[in-house]
Amino acid sequence: MRNLSLVKTLTHLKEERKHSEEISLESAGLSFTRGTLAELAGGPSTGKTSLVLSLLSKLTRAGEVCAVVDSTDGFDPCSASLSGVELENLLWVRCGGDLEKAFLSADYLVQAKGFGAVWLNLNGLPKGRLRMVPKTYWYRYRTRIKETPTLVLVTAEEPVTGSASQHAFTLSREDVAWSGKGRYKLLKEFSLNLHSRKEFYGNRLPASVGFDYSDV
Amino acid sequence: MSKLYACIISRNAKNDKAVLLSIVHEFASGIEELEDGVLFDVSGLENLMGDASEIARRIERKLKEHKLSANAAVAAAAETAILLARASSPHRVSTSPSVSSPHVSKGASRPTGDVTSQIDLSDHADKFSQLPLRELDIDPDTLDIFDDLGIRKISDLRRVPVDDLINRYGREFQAVIDTIEQKGGRILTPNIKESSLTWEYDLDFPVEDFEQLIFIVNHGLDKLFSRISYSGFSTEQLDITLGLRKKAARSYEIKTSFPTLERSFWLKLVNLRIALDPPESEIVSVRVISYFTRPRPSQRGLYAVSRPEPEDLLLTVNKLKKLVGEENVGVPVVLDQRVSEPFAVDPEQLPQGREKLEIRSEKLTAAFNYFRPPLPAAVTVADKRLLYIKTPFWKGRVKQYSGMWKKNSHWWNRPWHDREWDIEVEERGVFRLGRNEDEWFLYGEYD
Repeated sequence: MRNLSLVKTLTHLKEERKHSEEISLESAGLSFTRGTLAELAGGPSTGKTSLVLSLLSKLTRAGEVCAVVDSTDGFDPCSASLSGVELENLLWVRCGGDLEKAFLSADYLVQAKGFGAVWLNLNGLPKGRLRMVPKTYWYRYRTRIKETPTLVLVTAEEPVTGSASQHAFTLSREDVAWSGKGRYKLLKEFSLNLHSRKEFYGNRLPASVGFDYSDV
Repeated sequence: MSKLYACIISRNAKNDKAVLLSIVHEFASGIEELEDGVLFDVSGLENLMGDASEIARRIERKLKEHKLSANAAVAAAAETAILLARASSPHRVSTSPSVSSPHVSKGASRPTGDVTSQIDLSDHADKFSQLPLRELDIDPDTLDIFDDLGIRKISDLRRVPVDDLINRYGREFQAVIDTIEQKGGRILTPNIKESSLTWEYDLDFPVEDFEQLIFIVNHGLDKLFSRISYSGFSTEQLDITLGLRKKAARSYEIKTSFPTLERSFWLKLVNLRIALDPPESEIVSVRVISYFTRPRPSQRGLYAVSRPEPEDLLLTVNKLKKLVGEENVGVPVVLDQRVSEPFAVDPEQLPQGREKLEIRSEKLTAAFNYFRPPLPAAVTVADKRLLYIKTPFWKGRVKQYSGMWKKNSHWWNRPWHDREWDIEVEERGVFRLGRNEDEWFLYGEYD
């Protein structure tokens, strides 16, 4: 009978799930659970980076320490600053295109525990190289961050994390809006669609990403 | 054992310093000199002298004997003792309400030699509550707001729910709340003349093995840290000099962003630092200099947001530096320069974890992502219009574009050769296209 006390009732589990710490991104209608792996996949100009920066902005402004593992050195701190990310609360790790170093770096960061979010930026890497990444890495991260406050975010051109991720979204671009006329018009807005790969009957979520031309 | 602190505040602290210290040395060895007096640790004297009231009376008697014009207070928290001693008017004595028999001692006046003593235990509990908020470390704007709301004393502030105060004024306000609740976040730091301690060891036999070296350094740190700890200090910098057999000595400067005497942590840092730049020859001597600093002042509270422990963060950053290179890990900084990539990594900085209180809209803002290296492209141009683009990986029709935008980082000594366009390529995305001399490149994508 003593062992039965270790089994949690369904009500208890539902209650735990209800109270799990979530980070919501109202602007896109998304929410992410701490201690899990989340993935944003999509081709060029589909808003992956904008969504992640918006999330990092929310966390770093609250005083949380976040990290960017920049596999191809493509991260632009000016864009991050315009998105509201507090750069002084951000750790930037440049891996110079070395995928193995990027994964090892992410591993060190998740082991440190306590980071609000660790963003593994795989944007710009060819699909062939991404497919060579052993799936065990993702399960290792998932196990490491379980019951920690860390959210591991992965962005790539195509889905890579498989069933290891709790949230996985595929992003696509609907339209690009320009303002002005002639050669000197400016980019105004992207219209995006987000689709969750984990909810088969989930609706597509529309979102828009605006351009900010102000000085950093 | 509960802590007990005493504080003596004198208007002529500078002139009376020698006498004050002679009095204080009769009560404690851990003494911190303040600008206007002395703070000392009287924990444990209860068994020898009696309760806090009795200790205060003895201090008061000593002050009288030396005809000093000073106020003294005894309390369970250092801040409380200081606040009470500073707030006591001449010839009055104040005490901490949190001490079982709280009490304060009074002052004497040297010019007249007339010493009056008043130990009134009945109002000790109220005395601290009645202190004005201006005595606390609260910024002036917040004080003005409190004043407008009629919150002027510690007792007024205590009535406000702590959660509301933290929500409104941030995590830093927890220090003020700790003070009014007498939780004793302040640590007494004895004044000592030396600023560093040195440990040296000449080896009988040269050491080549890294593990042996760490073993020796471990022994040195053990000795150093026990002496630093005894003085009530901590350290955030170690200088290690390794004497080499056939080469010049190698020096390593190891700093942390926080004081700690955690030996295993320092050993890991030493290990990582020396591994990055190992000595070229056998080691014949080791010298370690440890610089004193005040210990870490307070623990983090329940309201603290997610953040790695400082030790973990520093070790992780050092591991990452070893993996990807020192110049590739750090905090991003935006440069105040008109250059093509106005940002850099600051490898000396660690993330601070500072909270920003201003509210910002969550609107998504387009981000830029660089291609490293820039993607070479062939662009078809007709009638000065961009029509088609071909890269090594894809090709497509240019649907829309804006530009040309001329770009120059050092315009005073370089011609305006660099030109850029924002282009939307059909079924591909939006990119930044650049032309340098006769070559076209895609610098990155808007994402």
